[in-house]
Amino acid sequence: MNSTNSRLRFVGVIFIIIGLAIIFQIVRVQNSPQAKEMISFLEKNYNQEIRVIKPERGNIYDRWGNLLAGNTEVYEVGIAPPQVINSDTIAQDLSSILGLDFTQIKKIARSYVEEGNQQYMVVADFVSADKVHLLENKLAEYEKAAKPKKGAAPSLNGVHWVAHLRRSYPENALAANILGFYNFYDRVDGRGILGLEEQYNNLLAGTATRVVLPMNPTAIQEIPSVPPGSSLILTIDRGIQAAVERIAQKAQEDNGAESVTILVMDPETGEMLAMATTPAFNPNEYQKYGEVFPQGSHYNRAISQLYEPGSVFKVLTMAAALDSGAVTPETTFVDTGAIEVGGLWIYNWDRGAWGPQDMTGCMQHSLNVCLAWTATEMGPTTFYTYIQNFGLGKYTGIDLAGEQVYPLSLPGDQNWYPINLGTNAFGQGVAATPVQMITAIAAVANDGRMMAPHIVKAYIQDGHQYDISPRLIRQVIKPETARAMTEMLANSLENEASVALVEGYRVSGKTGTAEIPGPRGYESSVTNASFVGWGPSDDPKFIVYIWLEKPTSSPWGSVVAAPVFSEVVSELTVLMKLPPDSIRQQMAQP
Amino acid sequence: MLDQRIIQAYKQAPWRVQLQWIGALLLVLVVGMLISGVYLYLSAEATAAGTHIRELELEREDLQIRIADLSTQLAFLRSAAFMQGRAETLGYKNASQRDIVYIPVPGYTGRQVVFLAPPPGNDPRDASIIKPSYKESLWEWLYQGTFDLIESRGLKP
Repeated sequence: MNSTNSRLRFVGVIFIIIGLAIIFQIVRVQNSPQAKEMISFLEKNYNQEIRVIKPERGNIYDRWGNLLAGNTEVYEVGIAPPQVINSDTIAQDLSSILGLDFTQIKKIARSYVEEGNQQYMVVADFVSADKVHLLENKLAEYEKAAKPKKGAAPSLNGVHWVAHLRRSYPENALAANILGFYNFYDRVDGRGILGLEEQYNNLLAGTATRVVLPMNPTAIQEIPSVPPGSSLILTIDRGIQAAVERIAQKAQEDNGAESVTILVMDPETGEMLAMATTPAFNPNEYQKYGEVFPQGSHYNRAISQLYEPGSVFKVLTMAAALDSGAVTPETTFVDTGAIEVGGLWIYNWDRGAWGPQDMTGCMQHSLNVCLAWTATEMGPTTFYTYIQNFGLGKYTGIDLAGEQVYPLSLPGDQNWYPINLGTNAFGQGVAATPVQMITAIAAVANDGRMMAPHIVKAYIQDGHQYDISPRLIRQVIKPETARAMTEMLANSLENEASVALVEGYRVSGKTGTAEIPGPRGYESSVTNASFVGWGPSDDPKFIVYIWLEKPTSSPWGSVVAAPVFSEVVSELTVLMKLPPDSIRQQMAQP
Repeated sequence: MLDQRIIQAYKQAPWRVQLQWIGALLLVLVVGMLISGVYLYLSAEATAAGTHIRELELEREDLQIRIADLSTQLAFLRSAAFMQGRAETLGYKNASQRDIVYIPVPGYTGRQVVFLAPPPGNDPRDASIIKPSYKESLWEWLYQGTFDLIESRGLKP
């Protein structure tokens, strides 16, 4: 009995020792450095998911809330080879619906069976929602279908589609020169290029947030709500932009011009209401950029192409001369057809002598000799002080990427000669962009107050709308000078019965024809034809700048640009709901 | 001898002692199982809720994408060119200056620029949409519950 008990006790002790050894080994293994390393590795790779949440890119709206740039739903389609049941179905459906190569897809679908490939492979991206719906229909069809007696059942198992957003421009080419574009096909390093997309890239893109999400469902962690990028509300009026683009396109075709640029601005605030340039470009197909804009051409000529503006510049010269007191509107100048400035002779556009002219006559007939004389009356210091105050040679600071500027040659500079005073007075030997010119001349239409041109009226950030106030650059000329200038230019248009006139509305304006400098001096065969005008003259609500580059129908601004101005203003008065002067004046009376 | 008898008289029968032990063990076992059961139930509930929240978050992401897409689709349908085409198909034409009749409306200041969001100001914002009860452990729940009970009775913890 004792012997049996002792044996049993011995066996018991052995089992206890084995048990303890097992427990010891469990504890030892679990606390070994290798175990800790493995736990840490597993926690890092399988117990949590690190996600970088890219916020939705902000929208861009016109001033009335019409969407100009938004985002659309597209899909990434991929294959997880280990999950594939029927590679033939996958190859067949993906090739027929998505237009992919049958053999290639089949090879990927079978890569797990044949090569042991476990890697998820993206086979198509930016697939439209319509095509994905077709795949979904196929999937539903296969799930309902009866299993065949032989072979694998048709199945899309292993095919995955994940939605993401793609930048989209619902108005297609409308305002493309303002918007720029977003290179959405680059999902990693995509960014805004040119225009507003580049200028406000950081604001539109928002801030990407990196979050660590536990995979353990009991360890709930809220995915932070990443606010979308800021949205922009522009000063642009879609209706005016569309009308102006249509007119620009027609003007280019009718006049055989290389390009046409039209700007519409509110002179009181500096808000750009429209900015149209040709050629048209659809930012939804930004990959065609090179075809539309060959090397050397400008995406937005309104802000980036410098040119000699010609006679529209005379508005600035005359405004300076009036404001400085060098002349009055009634001052008489006897035009002999030529004037010597700095040892060189300056002639009128027609090489003619126009006799006695008051200052309105000088502007009406666009007399180079008269304007060169007014500049010499002012003297270089006064003239260039005014020209600099008008912003020539400086950036306007418009909120678009790609603005260019040409430095203004001033007395004392190496490239300035005394003749420059005479030629600069009628817009030769100076280069400016259309936006510089409209900004400067808008000061004349706004009682001498030069406002900063801008495109963004407000932005929406974190659910709030922040308005951007108009900014005064400076008072360039006295209000009475500006009003006198406006009156002179209204009279000059009326006196010559210009084709720029618009029935029912009094407008002020000036034509411009500039020869284009080439390697052998100025070429008279090609010109830049311009027109600048504003109205209604007694209370300007708009200023329009027209530029036709190298028109072939006629070289003269008064022939090709002035009618375009008239057409633009006819549309503007309707779109801006501006009553004719007679009705407006009646309504203003108490 | 007498002592032994007295001890024997008052001593529990061996089977009763064994029963008491078994009873005690069973009690511990049952209590342990109950606690495990409650813990398992709450863990399962928390897991289900966690999974559901995850699904809802994914659904929210999908909906955000869908909303952005629908807004853009709507904008395509309301684009200037599309609307112009539709209007022309319906027989409309662009209004000219001659077509417009102006009527003075006292107090009307003209069309105002769009307001797509309220101006900045002080507005309360929810810091989190997941209630704390979905995140707290059993211990925290018990502790908080006891604390709330004591506080509601006006007792010092």
